[in-house]
Amino acid sequence: MERRTFLKATGAGLIVAASPLRSVFAQGKKYRFGFSQSTTLEPWRVQFNKDMKREADLHPEVELLISDGQDKTEKQVADVENFIRQGVDVLLISPKESAGLTGVTLKAIEAGIPVIVLDRNVDTDKYTQFIGGDNVVIGRAAGEYAVKVLGGAGKAKGNIVEIWGGFGTQASHDRSNGFHEIADKENGIKLVNEKIDCDWKQNKAYDLMANLLKANEQIDLVYGHNDPMAYGAFLAAKDVGREKDIKFLGIDAIPNEGVQWVNKGQLTATFLYATPGAEGVRQALKIVKGETVPKTITLPTMTVDKSNALQILKENGLA
Amino acid sequence: MVTRVSAETLSAFLLRTKLYWSLLILLAVGIFTSPVSSKGVNIFLSTGNLSDVLRQVSNNGIVAVGMTLVILTGGIDLSVGSIMALGSVLCAMLLTYDERTSATLLSFPILALVCASFAAWGATQLMGLRNRIVGTNTDPPHRIFAGLIGLGAAIVAWWLAASQVPTKFGVLGILVVVPAVGLAFGWLNGLIITKGRLQPFIVTLAMMVGVLGIARIVAGQDAAVHPVYTGTNATEDFDILRALLYRVVPVPGLFFLAVVLLSALLLRATTFGRYVYAIGGNEQAARLSGVAVDQVKIAVYAISGFLASLAGVLYTAQYRQGKPDAGVGMELDAIAAVVIGGTSLMGGKGSIAGTFVGVLIFGFLGNILQLNNIDSNTQLVLKGGIILAAVLVQERSLSELFSLRKLFVGTVPRSDAVQPGSSSIPHAEVTATAAEARLADHQ
Repeated sequence: MERRTFLKATGAGLIVAASPLRSVFAQGKKYRFGFSQSTTLEPWRVQFNKDMKREADLHPEVELLISDGQDKTEKQVADVENFIRQGVDVLLISPKESAGLTGVTLKAIEAGIPVIVLDRNVDTDKYTQFIGGDNVVIGRAAGEYAVKVLGGAGKAKGNIVEIWGGFGTQASHDRSNGFHEIADKENGIKLVNEKIDCDWKQNKAYDLMANLLKANEQIDLVYGHNDPMAYGAFLAAKDVGREKDIKFLGIDAIPNEGVQWVNKGQLTATFLYATPGAEGVRQALKIVKGETVPKTITLPTMTVDKSNALQILKENGLA
Repeated sequence: MVTRVSAETLSAFLLRTKLYWSLLILLAVGIFTSPVSSKGVNIFLSTGNLSDVLRQVSNNGIVAVGMTLVILTGGIDLSVGSIMALGSVLCAMLLTYDERTSATLLSFPILALVCASFAAWGATQLMGLRNRIVGTNTDPPHRIFAGLIGLGAAIVAWWLAASQVPTKFGVLGILVVVPAVGLAFGWLNGLIITKGRLQPFIVTLAMMVGVLGIARIVAGQDAAVHPVYTGTNATEDFDILRALLYRVVPVPGLFFLAVVLLSALLLRATTFGRYVYAIGGNEQAARLSGVAVDQVKIAVYAISGFLASLAGVLYTAQYRQGKPDAGVGMELDAIAAVVIGGTSLMGGKGSIAGTFVGVLIFGFLGNILQLNNIDSNTQLVLKGGIILAAVLVQERSLSELFSLRKLFVGTVPRSDAVQPGSSSIPHAEVTATAAEARLADHQ
């Protein structure tokens, strides 16, 4: 009996003692944007966060909260639920998976929070805005480049290796489909490997390439679904002294990564997959100020090779 | 009437309930640091937030309950994450039933074989049950015969299921079929561990790798997006599994609470539960005193598999997708919750109530850190530190905690220092506190 009173008293004491010690608004901030990032394990995602913070810093009235889903759907859903509870002014979300994050996105919309979906879409069209690149277009650009360096349209010849990011992500399928749309028209181009999922990781691509180099006398071009995988393949080729006779194409063109590798001549070319970070913050500001924003914004791509890599590095203060 | 609380009973009480104090302290921290909404509501305490947390912990919680049973017997189950993922994709597949599904099911001999062997085992068990009732003792050939009949029946049933089933599985159908598959894999774990006399760690590790592969095969390697339940092509009544009753009670949370209550009953109120503790305490002694050690062990792994695949169904319901890597890393979260809850990895000591609190501590911790918008890498560091702190509080008596020298050098033998296989006669120099703690754990 005394135990129970003891517990009750303590419990009551705790709740009474919990006074509002903090206010929601940080000093001088007018708007709070909650951004739910899916993971920060990939350099592109890190760059994405950097772009976002840089843009937010230009607007003193904005407080930007960034959460990291640590590559787990359930963590990201919990993060978004948290932002809903905190009542952010705009929710920006870059879903790990379309389906997995749809429910919670709807929840935010029902709670009256404008939602900007970045990079990967959700299975509903009730969001306020979608901003992202078009991976099919990027894949086509890579395909055209590959055909060009392998001898030009109608004459292109060579054995190519394609390194997949992930069978589970639409981006990987788009990048593959766009590439094959162009490359498969050439009878001289042969794909030498089975589809292998390297999970966007450099080390897995290295291992895959090391095996392929043993099995294939002749490899002319490697197309990696992102730069780190193309670079991993390059390292594998370098370790057996065959990097000079292979062209390496990657995607993403992050200044301190892909662009550096292109500038050093390790990768032949990479294709910009711009992060929607900065644009996301700009659009969120428009929304809170009551402006109408377009439903979809598609970010353009660009080819980065030896001719312009140094220029991009200079623009980013890296050279 | 005023009762005087003697210092001794109070300290014993504090000792026995220290786990709950950890949770209360954590909740206090949550309340104090919580942001306050513009209406003056403490966000951490808002029903919405508490309901979110209950939903968020339910999957890990259900898996952790199964893990508790396994760890109590002195084993470990690393395959729960993969079994959960398999449950998740199977569930999504049965919901979005089409020709491809039927083809996959039919061309899926491994799963068929597992189900068949499971049925075969069931048949032999029935035979054994008959023996117990009738009092005869059937010799092995009869059992094998029964097993073969079961096998045949299972294969026929499987074929029928894959070719003739209705195009949609109802919620009940899924809640039966999918956990049955998990149960089968768990049972297989137990069978290999006991009959093969192998370490649980390595057996369940192998199962974790293998079942992940099976889950990926079921999901279809070429599918751009794994079989996904979007609500358009699936049974509408499946929505009940992710519903919020009265706008605050998450159904997955109800499942979790039900699982907790049932397993607590199983451990506390049945012979089976006593056997689980006995095996964890001293397997040899349990064997010698006539406990059917192997059967109990097989049962706990089967229960663990069952619960893991049930969590998989709830995963698919909550996240509207079946995902072959849904459970990656899950086993470690579950083990962490179990250990925070005071269950010893050596077996024989612990409780479901402890695990329940451990799961809540784990869930609230993440919630509090996120509500305070703490950078996610810092979150990981804090989480690691707090897990350690919680386990220290669990494993050490209060007096030890207040004395650094005792904490790390230790004049007191650890209360769980009884090695499995050694005699379970308590050490002569075990102090009162340690003995008390042990008593408390078994109350």
